[in-house]
Amino acid sequence: MSPRPGVVLEVDRSTPPTLFWHGEGFRLEKLPVGSRIVYAPEPVSPLANPDSAIRQALENPLGDSAPLSSLLRPEMKLTIAFDDVSLPLPPMRAPDVRQRVIEAVLQMAAEKGVDDVQLIAALALHRRMTDDELRHILGERVFNAFAPYGLLRQHDAEDPSNLVHLGFTDEGEDVEINKRAAESDLLIYVNINLVAMDGGHKSVATGLSSYKSLKHHHNVRTMQHSRSFMDMHHSELHTSNWRMGKVIADAGVKVFQIETTLNTDTFPEQFRFLQRREWEWALADRAGFFASSRALERTPPGLARKIFHSIKAPHCLASVQAGEVGPVHARTLEHVHRQQLVTVEGQSDILTMGLPFISPYNVNSIMNPILVACLGLGYFFNLYRGRPLVREGGVVIMSHPTPWAFNPVHHPSYIDFFEQVLAETTDMFEIESKYETTFATDPWYIHLYRTGHAYHGVHPFYMWYWCAHALSHLSRVIVVGGERAAVRRLGFSPASTFSDALEMAEDAVGRNPSITHIHTPPLLIADVQ
Amino acid sequence: MKALVFERQLARFAASRLVSDLSGSGRGVGVGPLELLEVEPPELPGPGWVRLEPRLAGICGSDIATLDGRSSRYFEDVVSLPFVPGHEIVADVRGGPKDGERVVLEPVLSCTVRGFEPPCDPCRRGERGRCERISFGALAPGLQTGYCADTGGGWSGGLVAHESQLLAIPEEMSDEAAVMIEPTACAIHAALRSERAQAGRVLVLGAGTLGLLTIAALRSAVSPSLLVAVAKHPEQRRWAKRLGADYVVAPAEAVRATRRLTGSLALPVDGSVIARVTGGLDVVYDCVGSHSSLASALSVVRPGGEIVLVGMPGPVKVDLAPLWQREIALRGAYAYGTEQTATGPRRTFELAAELVATAGLEELVSSTYPLERYEEAIAHAAAAGRRGAVKVVFDLRRRGDRRLGGEKENR
Amino acid sequence: MSRSAARELALFLLRAPTRPAGVEAPRLKSRTGVEYPTEWARRYAVRLARAMVLDDVTLPLVTAAARPAFYGRDALERLEGPVIVAANHASHLDTAILLASLPPKRRHHTVVAAAADYFFDRHWKAALSAFSLGAIPMERVKVNRRSADAAAALIEEGWSLIIFPEGGRSPHGWGQEFKGGAAYLAKRCQVPVAPVHLRGTRAILPKVPEPARSRFRPGKTAVRFGELLWPSEEEDARRFAARIEAAVALLADEAEGDWWTARLRAGRAETPSLRGPAVSPWRRAWSLPASADPSRRPSGRPEGSAATAWDEG
Repeated sequence: MSPRPGVVLEVDRSTPPTLFWHGEGFRLEKLPVGSRIVYAPEPVSPLANPDSAIRQALENPLGDSAPLSSLLRPEMKLTIAFDDVSLPLPPMRAPDVRQRVIEAVLQMAAEKGVDDVQLIAALALHRRMTDDELRHILGERVFNAFAPYGLLRQHDAEDPSNLVHLGFTDEGEDVEINKRAAESDLLIYVNINLVAMDGGHKSVATGLSSYKSLKHHHNVRTMQHSRSFMDMHHSELHTSNWRMGKVIADAGVKVFQIETTLNTDTFPEQFRFLQRREWEWALADRAGFFASSRALERTPPGLARKIFHSIKAPHCLASVQAGEVGPVHARTLEHVHRQQLVTVEGQSDILTMGLPFISPYNVNSIMNPILVACLGLGYFFNLYRGRPLVREGGVVIMSHPTPWAFNPVHHPSYIDFFEQVLAETTDMFEIESKYETTFATDPWYIHLYRTGHAYHGVHPFYMWYWCAHALSHLSRVIVVGGERAAVRRLGFSPASTFSDALEMAEDAVGRNPSITHIHTPPLLIADVQ
Repeated sequence: MKALVFERQLARFAASRLVSDLSGSGRGVGVGPLELLEVEPPELPGPGWVRLEPRLAGICGSDIATLDGRSSRYFEDVVSLPFVPGHEIVADVRGGPKDGERVVLEPVLSCTVRGFEPPCDPCRRGERGRCERISFGALAPGLQTGYCADTGGGWSGGLVAHESQLLAIPEEMSDEAAVMIEPTACAIHAALRSERAQAGRVLVLGAGTLGLLTIAALRSAVSPSLLVAVAKHPEQRRWAKRLGADYVVAPAEAVRATRRLTGSLALPVDGSVIARVTGGLDVVYDCVGSHSSLASALSVVRPGGEIVLVGMPGPVKVDLAPLWQREIALRGAYAYGTEQTATGPRRTFELAAELVATAGLEELVSSTYPLERYEEAIAHAAAAGRRGAVKVVFDLRRRGDRRLGGEKENR
Repeated sequence: MSRSAARELALFLLRAPTRPAGVEAPRLKSRTGVEYPTEWARRYAVRLARAMVLDDVTLPLVTAAARPAFYGRDALERLEGPVIVAANHASHLDTAILLASLPPKRRHHTVVAAAADYFFDRHWKAALSAFSLGAIPMERVKVNRRSADAAAALIEEGWSLIIFPEGGRSPHGWGQEFKGGAAYLAKRCQVPVAPVHLRGTRAILPKVPEPARSRFRPGKTAVRFGELLWPSEEEDARRFAARIEAAVALLADEAEGDWWTARLRAGRAETPSLRGPAVSPWRRAWSLPASADPSRRPSGRPEGSAATAWDEG
């Protein structure tokens, strides 16, 4: 059976209750009759032989690029950069697609006798990964061949000796990237395009850059003008990255881009009901839902988090393309759209969403309130093409426990941002002008970022800016079942039940509002007509 | 005349300590050594003394510590029993040339008051808080009115005071404003105790009356470059902000906030839980005086910095290793006298009267109680922060009540 | 007795006397490392106990986990008297597998040269090594007179010796230079050396450089004995050691391919070195044969199928 496309369901009296993710758990909610539910397309069929597909892609590159094997010479300096642990979500079952690609590249490099090879994790300002995480992403063979010899590095955006300034864009934006990558004869970038935002010139221009460079597009103005940042043709974020990509190319950095897409097979067998449509739940799905919800009620939150973060997704490689950045990314987006696009007619007054336990920035960690805001208003709100799913002045209702809890190792600056900055103001521009620089240059955060596993001091600001478009578009944000103090601190309204939330929303958008529920994950992009 | 009298009764002393340990500060008053009695007004000790009839008398943190049986035994030799507490007093003068004048009392019983001529060195310099003769001379021992058996105190219908202790208050100043002058003078004196605070980064620990007044005093008299306040309760946070704190943080956030605001590094280095900063603030004003507040102060003050003890401390157990290794200065700040200002030396009480007026500090008076409800009043004052209050005072203005109470007592 | 007198007495008894400055302290004798005495471990009763533990516990376990296949053991069967078994070394399993490969009679009359600084650095470790494997301490860096004398004496008594001429397990999977110890002892005692190649033990239990991680994964191994090598008058120990290394290299080539091709290559002096290619570290690691690489991903999993059976290609 070929996978079915996404669907927009109109709720009627016989529609079963709808599944809402709720952090480390889920709830069933009865949506009012007439509401719409947007379901993602089913996972596309995977490539039958991923390893040979990868070799094919390397030898038949797109755009203006020679086959990889002809680019490799024994005496050259070769750098392979790769996406970090923030992708895919949840982390995929071994072997990770980056492992497959990098093994194929290294096999070629070994055959060609390339001695000087380094691997660099393109972290940007994300936290450094643990050895276990790197081992999972790269596989043990790659890890063992590189890590012991110091050839596996994690990009350090605060190491001035390992950054190089390549110039300015036409708009005067600094382009500063990893020195080793810039000075290599060939830079191979291995990406995973989980959502449409990833990849393209953003890979190198963001992943391997520094705060100096990033702040030109990671700011409130850019994010308010990225509508959405999931749609590169209407995203100021991407325009800026593309300008930087040009500077990087003009500076003589030769990039061989390898992009991959995965299908949306997101949950393992025991959680399969999470990606099925409720009216198709078989006995096993209903039993699975019942058993896991009951078990989770009795599980302490720390343990539940551990259980969920140990989930490995059965994602499969859906496409791989290599060569020149532009044409490669265009092909990648076709594949992402083929997997994720759902056509939706018109906007509604209220958009509802259930937020899961994971976001790109809390893999093996706690989803703190700032990340809750970012996942709902940054990611899910922006999963559209054309117009937002909710009208201007509308309301977003999201469901998440939103605990006032932080991982102090991963998110030290988040704690201060939440306790000290958001306590003063939630206004984007005020926060940006008054606090950003001190956080970005704080030596303690820099120390933890460089030597521990901490996100950079400025990272919580970016998470907050990620919500900029949504917050200027919406009149109200309501969080169902969240810790009240934490929700209030974010400037949102807490509601204890879904129907309370709907009533509160009616105060803002009027009686009998139209409602759309975005049933994700699995991921989707709403093509709003 | 009615008066709340504090007597030496060991059993009651122990009982109040026990009750306040078990059920909280201020709760042991009923069983404690404080009693409401009908007493004779104190004798005038000599020329230069006048009678006062209190209008308002504040309840101070040090009073509560004394009533809880928690104050240091150090004070045993510098007080004389039985005494009537109350040293934050606004009163009417009775008799003499100044009869009927409304005054505030500067309670320190220094050389001039005790009839020493010439006065001791500090008193000569106007530093009356540092008087070397507080247990000697014409009066029974007692460092202040309110701790001396001969003078009486504010929590009563009448007391005696030396003319040098009085400060006339202008007609337009309310009683509530006037009763804030004494604690404000303490705060101003404390704020001026550290030279490092000038244009420095300071933190005020505690946001009770003294903490809030210290914030106001720092803002008006010292102008630090950064003023952080640590406050526990919502009402305190609001006040701290209003009186001029740049940032107000919860006690649990104090170290983190200090670290961020000073851009310091911190220990331990794994980032999991920050115990102390390696840089820190120039001056910390400890307006609590407990061992935990002193430990917090030590964890946020910079090497070479200074801790000013504003709140009355008792015996505390604290690790002094950081004090030694980081060369931190620990300073006391007691009472008031004369301050050196840009325009020359000025009496602290005058500076305080100005600050009370300009900063609207009379609003800090949250509740008033008649003497008869003293148990309630003291319990309220002891739990002020939690109950959304700042300063609790006795209101002695309604004479009718006083006479009525006296008759009851006679029956 | 008064209390203070009792206290005095207690202190006198409990406190060691202080030493006058002019007196030299007697040095405590170190009984670990090369100086650890192992004679007790060769007493009859201990040998009997070791034989029982080895034959009934250790070797069955190791054989089950490593499933060794033996080749060329006949070379040894024809020999009477002691032999020096010299093998490549990549895993803690190697010793046990070599012991398992020896005929029982010889096995129970064999000692193992073990690194003095690793197996004999603590008393309990020394005792355990001496008992369970019949280990004797050997200095791994240079020929140490004391340990060499002890080993030579044992060989002359008729004991066979297992020795790893590389001086320790390979950290990266490729061979290291063969040191002269085995060759020296063979020359001194005029006994033959049996060159042995062990294949696959590293894939089961490797020694790996940080931060790579060693994990135990049962698998298959192969043990190849080569022709016995006799020391000759005109050859010094260093060159004899090189000859032993070459013999093990030939066995390695044979293990990865087949006997005939290996011979042909040997004839052309093209036998690949045990020490791997002289290239950058990552390429050396990358070019390890699968049998020596515990981290190799089995290739070609058909992704669409739910079955996760690995294709052992």
